[in-house]
Amino acid sequence: LCRGDSQLCSQKAAVYSLDVEANPPERIFQLIDQVNPSIFCIHATNYEQALYLKSPEIPTAENFDHLLDKFGGASFSAEPDSWNLDTDAQNPPEANETSRYEYGVPVQTEDAFLRLPSPVVSSWCSDANPAGFLVNQATKCIRSVSVEKCDSIQALSMLFYINSSILASVFQVNITVQSIVVQSLNGMRTLLSSSEVLRLPMVLDELCINAVLAVNYHITHTDTGEIIEAAAAFVLGAISREALSIEQSFEISFTQENTQPVPLSGNPGYVVGLPVRAGFQPQGYPFPAAFLFASLALSSNIHSQLTILHSTSTQDCLAAQGARAPVLFGYNMISGCKLRITAAMKCQPLAQTLLDVLKGQSFPEYVASFGNSQAQDVLDWVPITQLHISEQMISHTLQSSCQIPVSLGIEVKWTKYGSLVNPQARIVNVTATITSTTLKQLPSGREKIIPITSSVVFTDISSPAEPSYKAWPTINIKLPFDFFYPFV
Amino acid sequence: NNSSQLSSLPLHILLYVNGVYYIFYFLATLAMIIYKSQVFSYPDEFLAPDLAVLFLMAILEVPRLYLGFKGNLTEAEAPLGLSLGLTVGSVLLCVYLLLWQSYVLWADVLLNAVLLAAYGLESGLKVTAIAAFVS
Repeated sequence: LCRGDSQLCSQKAAVYSLDVEANPPERIFQLIDQVNPSIFCIHATNYEQALYLKSPEIPTAENFDHLLDKFGGASFSAEPDSWNLDTDAQNPPEANETSRYEYGVPVQTEDAFLRLPSPVVSSWCSDANPAGFLVNQATKCIRSVSVEKCDSIQALSMLFYINSSILASVFQVNITVQSIVVQSLNGMRTLLSSSEVLRLPMVLDELCINAVLAVNYHITHTDTGEIIEAAAAFVLGAISREALSIEQSFEISFTQENTQPVPLSGNPGYVVGLPVRAGFQPQGYPFPAAFLFASLALSSNIHSQLTILHSTSTQDCLAAQGARAPVLFGYNMISGCKLRITAAMKCQPLAQTLLDVLKGQSFPEYVASFGNSQAQDVLDWVPITQLHISEQMISHTLQSSCQIPVSLGIEVKWTKYGSLVNPQARIVNVTATITSTTLKQLPSGREKIIPITSSVVFTDISSPAEPSYKAWPTINIKLPFDFFYPFV
Repeated sequence: NNSSQLSSLPLHILLYVNGVYYIFYFLATLAMIIYKSQVFSYPDEFLAPDLAVLFLMAILEVPRLYLGFKGNLTEAEAPLGLSLGLTVGSVLLCVYLLLWQSYVLWADVLLNAVLLAAYGLESGLKVTAIAAFVS
C-alpha cells in the first residue's frame, strides 16, 4: 500500500461485512467509493509514476558500478534517473566482461575455456575440465593411445594445448612455450635448449615420439585480476608399441606480476597445517628479506620457514645431519634426539654443535604474522624473541661453567583476527627459549647419554568472548480470569 | 445609473477583489507546491513547469490589473482591450494549473475554480465596458 493511495480524494474500495441477522450469517461484499475528506487530497495526477512504488534494483555484476556511482556518495537524489520517461535500460558494458577474472571463474579462451584435462569419474582423462582463475591445480590422468594413430590423437600434440589464446581485457594473450623437456623411454629427462620449435608427435621406429606427457601452465596476472602472460612448459616423451595408455599430468599455477611465486600459508590468516613463514633481515636492510632466498620450489626451501629438529630413527643427535621438519601452523610438535657425551668432548664446540642441531643452520629472525605477508611490509613480521634459561645445578655452580643447550622450546602465540564469523589466525608473538644445563666433566672412559628435545607449542591468546548484556527479567503477573468468580 | 459616467463600478470592484484574491491565491498555490514536493515524489522536470506557470501568471497579473484599472477609470478602450488579451493568457495558465499539474489537490481545484470564475466575470464586464466606451 503506497502513501499515494490514502491521499486520493476518492478511490474504490471493497468492503466485506458480516450480516449476523440472517440465518446462517452471510458475508456481504460491497464496492464503495472511499472518500478522503481532507482538503489536501489528490484530485488528479498527471504524473503516472506518482502512485507506484518502484522496486529497487538488485545489484548484479553489471550494474554494480553504476549503482555505486549513484548511491555510494554521502547523499543522493530521491528520484532515480529511470523516472525520466526515457526507459532505455543502462546496458551493461559487454566489452569488459572478460577483462577481470575472479577467483574460480574459468579462464576463457577464443573457442571455449582453458582446458586442464583431469580424471572425472574414472582415471581416464576428460578434456572438458576448465582451469579456474587463481586455482592452482595439479591433475594426473590416463589417456588411451595407440602408436599407429599417435599423430592423429589431438591430446598428444603440443598444439592442442597452446593453439587457442586466452581472452584478457582488450587483447588476447597467446600461450608461449616456456620450455620443452624430452623424456626417454627409460625415464631420463633432458631439457631442450631451444623451445621455439614446435615438436609434433610422429611415428618413428615403432615408437611414437614427441607425445605430450606433462603440461605445466604458468599464468601471470595483475593484482586487479587481468591476465597478462601465459606460458606452458612441456614434457614430451616416447610411447612404445605395447603401451595402450599413458599417464599425463597437468598443472596450472598463477603468479601475480612483480612478485615471487611463493606458496601462501593462508590468505590472510594462517591455515592449520601450512608451514609458518619466516625470514631474515639482511645486513643493512631494514626489512625482512625472506624472498631473497626464494625460488620456485619454495615448499622445500627451508630458508624461508621455521623448522625444528626432525627425529631420526637412529636418535643420535650428532648423526642427524640436519634433518629438519617445517613447523606447521597449529600443530604442536615435539622432537628430540639423544646425545652421547664422552669424556673427550670439549665443551665449547659441543655447545655450538648442539645449538646448530637445535636451531638449524639458518634460524630465522622474523616470522610472518599473516599467511600472506609480503617481505616489503615490515609491520607484518613479528621478531622472534630469544630467551636463554640455564638450569644451574646448585651444588656444582662453582666447579664447571660449561653450559650446553639441551632443549629449544618455541612458543607461538596467535590470536583470532578479523570478523567473528570468519576469524583469521594471526601470529602475535614467537618466543624461542633455549634451556641450557651444566655439563659435568666426566671421568675418562665413561659415557653419558643426555636427551635433547625441541618443541613447538601454539597458544591461542584471543581475548575471550565478552558476555553481552542480558535483559532484565520481566515480571509477568496476571490473575486468572475467573479470580473474582462469583462477582464477574 | 449616472449616464455621464461610463466607467463600470462592478468592474472596478471585481478588479480590486481579484487583486487581493490573487495575492492569496499565489501564496497558497506556492505553499501547496512546496508541500507537494516534500510529501510526494516530485522530480525536478515535473516541478519546473508547474512553478514556471505559476510565476508567469503572477507576472502577467500585474499589468493586467493595472491596465484594467486604468482603462476603466480613463474610459479608454485600448488598455481595457489589452487587459482582456492578457486575461485570456491568464485563463489558459489557470486552466493548466487546474487540469494539467502533476498533482492536483482538492484545494487546488477550489482555488483555481474561483479564479476562473473571477476571470470569466471580469471578461464579461470588460466587454460590456468596452462596448459602452466605444459607442
